[in-house]
Amino acid sequence: MNTNLKVSKITKIYPGCIANKNISLEFNSGKIYALLGENGAGKSTLVKILSGVIMPDEGEIFLNNKPLKLSSPIDAKKNNIGMVFQHFNLFETLSVFENLIIDSNETRDNLREKIKSIMDKYNFSIDLDIPVLNLSAGQKQKVEIIRCLIRNPEVLIMDEPTSVLTEQETSELFSSLKKFSEEGILIIYITHKLKEVMSICDEVAVMRKGELVSVSKIIDEKIETLANKMVGQNLKTIKKTKQSSFSSEQLIKITNLNFKSEDPFETNLSDINFSVNRGECLGIAGISGNGQSELFQVLSGEIISDKNSIEFNKTYIGDLNPQERREYLMAFSPEDRLEQAAIPQMKIFENVALNNFKSSNFFNNGLINEDKIKEHSKKIISDFNVNTDNIDLKSQFLSGGNLQKLIIGRELITSPDLLICFNPTWGLDVGAINYIHETLIKINEQNKSIILISTDTDELLKLSDKISVINKGKLSKTMNADEVTSEKLGILMGGGN
Amino acid sequence: MIIDINFVGLILASIMASAVPLILASCGELITERSGVLNLGVEGMMIIGAISGFALMTVTGSLIIAVFGAMLAGVLISTIFAFLTQTLITNHVATGLALTIFGIGISAMIGKNFVGIPGKEFPILFESLKDTIPILSPILFGHSIVFYFAFALPFITNYFLKKTKLGLIVRAVGDSPVSASNQGINVRLVRYMCILYGGAMCGLAGAYLSMIYTPQWIENMTGGRGWIALALVVFSTWNPIKILIGAMIFGGLTIIQFHMQAVGVRIPVQFLTALPYIVTIIVLVVISRDSRKIRLSTPSSLGKSFYKDN
Repeated sequence: MNTNLKVSKITKIYPGCIANKNISLEFNSGKIYALLGENGAGKSTLVKILSGVIMPDEGEIFLNNKPLKLSSPIDAKKNNIGMVFQHFNLFETLSVFENLIIDSNETRDNLREKIKSIMDKYNFSIDLDIPVLNLSAGQKQKVEIIRCLIRNPEVLIMDEPTSVLTEQETSELFSSLKKFSEEGILIIYITHKLKEVMSICDEVAVMRKGELVSVSKIIDEKIETLANKMVGQNLKTIKKTKQSSFSSEQLIKITNLNFKSEDPFETNLSDINFSVNRGECLGIAGISGNGQSELFQVLSGEIISDKNSIEFNKTYIGDLNPQERREYLMAFSPEDRLEQAAIPQMKIFENVALNNFKSSNFFNNGLINEDKIKEHSKKIISDFNVNTDNIDLKSQFLSGGNLQKLIIGRELITSPDLLICFNPTWGLDVGAINYIHETLIKINEQNKSIILISTDTDELLKLSDKISVINKGKLSKTMNADEVTSEKLGILMGGGN
Repeated sequence: MIIDINFVGLILASIMASAVPLILASCGELITERSGVLNLGVEGMMIIGAISGFALMTVTGSLIIAVFGAMLAGVLISTIFAFLTQTLITNHVATGLALTIFGIGISAMIGKNFVGIPGKEFPILFESLKDTIPILSPILFGHSIVFYFAFALPFITNYFLKKTKLGLIVRAVGDSPVSASNQGINVRLVRYMCILYGGAMCGLAGAYLSMIYTPQWIENMTGGRGWIALALVVFSTWNPIKILIGAMIFGGLTIIQFHMQAVGVRIPVQFLTALPYIVTIIVLVVISRDSRKIRLSTPSSLGKSFYKDN
C-alpha cells in the first residue's frame, strides 16, 4: 500500500502573525519525514491543519491524490490520519482503557483484545485500568500512539514527541517509529532537535517564520547546515570556561529536606541533601514531573519547610517566605513565566515592582512611587537587552524571550548571591537561549551561585559545574559535570543506577 | 410514654420525603458539573419549576402536564444559562447567580395570582400496602412516583457515569475540554445537554415542593434548598451515592430539629435550625477525605469557559 500526502499552498494568518505562508509539501509512505523549525516557526500550525484542529485560510490537502477537507479532528481520523500531540490529549482522571474506548466504536472485549495485540506487537506494557495521571510521560505517549494505531492509520504525525522523554524512552520510540514506517505508515516527525532529525528521518523540511525554507534528503545535510537554515543566521556556540578550582565557601546547604504533598498530582520529596559553593552552578536534571516544581517551590519559599533544612549564608531560612528570602539575597526565576513569574495583565513596570525590597523604596507610606519604579524598570530593560522601550506595555505582549530576559533582569539587578531558575530557556528561540546562557555564565564568573533545575540535558551539561539528578522526588548524589555524559544522566533520570 | 412503632416509620418516611427535592436537584447539578459547568442557578431553576408546576396544575388541571411543564420550564431557563455561558462565553459564576436572582423574581411575579389557592392531591402508589409491615411499609409504600424516581436517581446517575459511553464522554469533557475537542467530541453540545438536563431535574425538584410536598404556592418557597443541593454536590465530591447520604442527613436533621423544637428541648432555636447545615457538611467532608479520590472525581475544568480557536 502506498500512501501519498500532499499539502498545496497552505496559508494561515492569525491577527498580527502569518503562521503559515504558502506551504507546499509532498510526503510518501515508507519514509520518515522531519518538519524542522524553531518555536513559532509555524510547524504546529501546519500540523494542526493536517489533523483537522484548525482550518487553513487558503490551500488544499490531498491524500492519495484525492482532495481532503479536514474541518474537524473527526475528519482526520476518518481519513486515517493519526496525530500524537506535544501536549497530550488524554483525560488524566480517566483510566487508560476509558481513554481509548471513548472514540472507538468497538465493544469493550474486542477493543481490549485489539489493544493487547498492539501492545504485544510493539512491546508496550501499560496497565489499562489505572488512571492516566499515574503514568509516566513515556507511557502516556504510548497510550496516544496506541490510540492512533487502533485505527490502522495511513499517516502518523508526531509533534515534538521527545520533549518529555528520557534518552532510553526516546530510543524506544525511535525503534517503534522505524517499525511503523516499515509497515507502510507514513510518518511526519515535527521537532526542533537537530540530532533527532539526523538519526531517524529520511527527508527534512525546514520552516522559519511561517515559511518553508528548504526540503532536502538527510544524507545531503549536516547538523550545522540544518541549524543555519533553521535559525537563518550563523549560530555562535557558547561555551563555559569551567573553573579549575572552586571557592570552598558553602553558600547554601540543604539537609534532610522532606515534602509530602496532599495532592496526588504532585510528587513527594524525600530526604533531599545537597550544597552549593560560591561561584558554582549546580544543575538538577530530571524528566518533568519528578519533583522539580516541588523542589523549586520549597527552595523559593512558596512552600515553607522545616527551618533547619535550608541553610543559606550561615542562616537557617527554611521557614521564610519568598520575599524574606529575597532580602537574604536569593533570587528566583520560576518555570512558568506567565503564571508564576509575572502577571500577564499587568504592565512591565508593575511587574518589576512586585519584586520589592525594603531598600528599593518602591513604596512611600503605602503609596506607589511610580517614578522610582519606572527608572528601575528602564535600567533592567537596557541592561538585559529586553527588546521594547515601552514599560507601560502589558507583560503578556512580550515574547517569551523578552519576558524571560525581563524576569532574569528583575531578579539579577540587585546582584543576589544565588539565583534559582527552573527551565529558564523553555520554549525560547535560539537567540534568546544564547543570551540567557551567557547571562548565567556571567553570574558564575562574578562568584555568584546558581541552582539550575532543567529538563534540557544539553543545557545542563553546558552550564553546570556539578550535576545531580532528581527521580521520583529523590535526588542522586552530586557529580562533577565533566565526569557525566548525557547517556549516564538519561539512565539516572529513568531511575537506573 | 409509649412510642408507636409505626411512628418511627412515619418519621423516617417524612425524612425521606424532605430529601427528595435535594436529591433531584443535586443529581441534576452533578451531571452539569461533571461536564465542567458550574451552574449556581439551582435555586432559581427550582423556584421556576415550583411556580410553573403549580400554575400549570391550577390552570390546566392536569398533573402530568404540570410535572412535565415544570421540567420544561427548568430546561428553558437553563437554556438561557447555556446560551450565555457556552455560546457567549460568559463567566459561569456570575451568570449562575444572575439566574437565581432572575428565577426568584420572575416566580414571585407569576406567583402573585396563585397565592392562597389550594393545591391538588397527587396520586400515591401502593396505598393498599401501607399497613402491611411495621416500620417498613410507611417507608416503602404510599408515595408519589416522583419520590420513587428520586431514590432511584442516584443509582441511575452512578451507573450512567461509570458504565455508559455517554457518561464517559461527559466525564471526559469535564476532565479536559481541549482534549475532548481534539478527539472530535462536540464539547459545546455535550455541555449544553448537561446544563439542560440539570435544569430539568431542578424543575422537577421545584414541582415536587409546590405540588406534592407542600401543595401550595408560597413566594420563595424553595427557601435555600437550591444552595444546599449545590453544597451537597461539592461536599459529596461529585459522587451520587454520597449525595443520597448527605440529603438524608440533611432531611433527617431538619425533621428531627422540628420535633425537638415542638417538644421544647432547651437548646436555642437558632442553633437547632443551623444544625442540619453544619452536620451535613461535616459528615460529607469526613467521608470524602481521601484527597486522591477527590482529585480523580473532581471535574478538572469545572467553571472554566471553553472555546475553540479557529
